[in-house]
Amino acid sequence: MGLWGLRHAVAMAALCLVLLRSRGTEGLRLWIEEGEECFSQGVKYEGDSFHVSFVVIKDNSPWHHSANADGIDLVIKGPSGEQILDFRDRKSLTISFMAPSKGIYHLCFINKSPYHESIYFDVHVGHLKSLKPSEQHLQDAHVTPLMEQIAKLEEALDNIVFEQHWLKAETHRQAIVNDGMSRRAIPKAVIESVALVGASVLQVYLLQRLFNRKLGASVLKV
Amino acid sequence: MVRFNLCFLLILGFLLSTSESVRFDLESGQTKCIAEDIKSNSMTVGKYSVVNPDEAHPMPDTHKVTVRVTSAYGNNYHYAELVGSGQFAFTAPEAGDYMACFWGPDHNPKVTMTVDFDWRTGVAAKDWSNVAKKGQVDVMELELKKLYDAAISIQEEMYYLREREDEMQELNRTTNSRMGWFSILSLFVCLSVAGLQLWHLKTFFEKKKLI
Repeated sequence: MGLWGLRHAVAMAALCLVLLRSRGTEGLRLWIEEGEECFSQGVKYEGDSFHVSFVVIKDNSPWHHSANADGIDLVIKGPSGEQILDFRDRKSLTISFMAPSKGIYHLCFINKSPYHESIYFDVHVGHLKSLKPSEQHLQDAHVTPLMEQIAKLEEALDNIVFEQHWLKAETHRQAIVNDGMSRRAIPKAVIESVALVGASVLQVYLLQRLFNRKLGASVLKV
Repeated sequence: MVRFNLCFLLILGFLLSTSESVRFDLESGQTKCIAEDIKSNSMTVGKYSVVNPDEAHPMPDTHKVTVRVTSAYGNNYHYAELVGSGQFAFTAPEAGDYMACFWGPDHNPKVTMTVDFDWRTGVAAKDWSNVAKKGQVDVMELELKKLYDAAISIQEEMYYLREREDEMQELNRTTNSRMGWFSILSLFVCLSVAGLQLWHLKTFFEKKKLI
């Protein structure tokens, strides 16, 4: 039992460590006011895969919102403050990169428009994708490889949930655009008809006035 | 047997002590709101706490927040005034967006607090330690149960997405046909108005004895 048992216990402990649900924020909706707003996410191991996604949602936007539909900026800063990635004017983004060091990463959103923006935001840090074969503990014959595979499966499912959340946010954004378009069809048709009729009435009136004046100048009869 | 129990305890320890959450800065007098889409009859658990800026000293009194959790229809589910940390848990009766708003109380000079907020819904909110305690549950079985729940929730999300997709397609189809009909209508209006115009001007000029 002795030494072999201890080694095995250590191996199991290490494996249990990776069975943590390494899922970050479960897909949130945030309101970003004008200016900069920062969020932080911790990374436990160097080389972890870091996934971020966001989608900008506009609720029932009036006309002038959709006219100048700019996105927001995202700046990702590392634990020691160095800038890792920078994205400008994006309305939808999904990015994954390998974290160069462990620590707390800062994700800063910069909203340049004077209105507040509502975004769907999701962060996910995965560990096992980057695990090298030499680090995998394959000591025990029948238990540890199984647990490892289960852990990998768990992380794969987490990735699926992350992607699905982004898909849901994009679908929501499309639904809003389509809704707006459908609702504006009838007022658009009514306004167009009214404008046409109004323009032709104005035309007739102006022509009548013109000829009346011309006729009034030459003939002294209405 | 001893090995399994050790791993079991370690897993529980790690599961209970992990705090995967979002951290944000809150200034005095500022409001920050976070919303999450929750389906009806699903469990949701939220834990929030103000991060102590200085580990050596206890938390200063200025670092307190006011929290309110409301549903999309305006019902209040949790309210805590000037607390350093807290938690809420409820089962959502109606589906929709639930919003948790944090107010930083006014101070002079302005302080900036870091708030740590962990909000889990659905399968992530399930308390696995209770499930494990209920029987002689093997570690592997627990993990596989978790995976099964996660897979089921993914499937349900896919169904929901599929329904939304169907709705959108139907909407687009009706919008398309409506735009077609309205274009024909406006063309008709344009032509008839032009005809009326011509007729009116003709009678006008005939009356004026110009034609």
